[in-house]
Amino acid sequence: MGLVVAGAALIDMHNRLKVLRAERDWSQAVLAERLGVSRQTVNALETGRYDPSLPLAFKIARIFEQPIESIFSDEGALP
Amino acid sequence: MAKGLWSVIGKSVLGLLALVALVFLMGIVMGFLGAAGVVTMDGAVLWIMTMFSVVIMAGAFWVAVAWMRSIDEAAREAHKAAWFWGGSAGMAVGGVGVILAALPQAETLRFAAHDGRTDPAAYMAAGAFGMMMLMMIGYAVVWAWWWLARR
Repeated sequence: MGLVVAGAALIDMHNRLKVLRAERDWSQAVLAERLGVSRQTVNALETGRYDPSLPLAFKIARIFEQPIESIFSDEGALP
Repeated sequence: MAKGLWSVIGKSVLGLLALVALVFLMGIVMGFLGAAGVVTMDGAVLWIMTMFSVVIMAGAFWVAVAWMRSIDEAAREAHKAAWFWGGSAGMAVGGVGVILAALPQAETLRFAAHDGRTDPAAYMAAGAFGMMMLMMIGYAVVWAWWWLARR
């Protein structure tokens, strides 16, 4: 669960990267290779300790062939 | 390992070797000029060290740029956080020393800056070096924390 400083507010971000990667039977290294980032970065993304830039988020969405909002959500989007 | 890292390391090594060769050549030239009485020994050292310091700092900056371009965004973010939080914290610690050193009471302090020197230039160099070290320590601590917290 990542905390992003957006203005004065702290926002909890969530993502489904680990689930989507597992569904495709990809290792973190494979996903890292496809995204052009390090495996450590993929791990930081999956554990919610690092939130991606917009360009990287779009790249992730393209690779998983899903809209960004179905992969990433903030606490306001949770039921 | 980041893409392009080996290229950066290879070019850095080549750059350092070129710099050593340049210093060697300048040493020969300054030797001839010194023998001809055109420059003094101190003047020759100053010319060589000026060239050396400008080239090595420009090279270090080039390496930093090439390095930042070769790493991914999370690694870049770690460096930005380390620069801001670690560097600022180190500067805050060093700032205490700057304020104390500026007090009139500090005039009575007598200690050697380095090489037994007590001249103003030595104190300036020692102060700047001390501030840089504190900022670098802060940088290293925050950088390590950033990655350890995200493993």
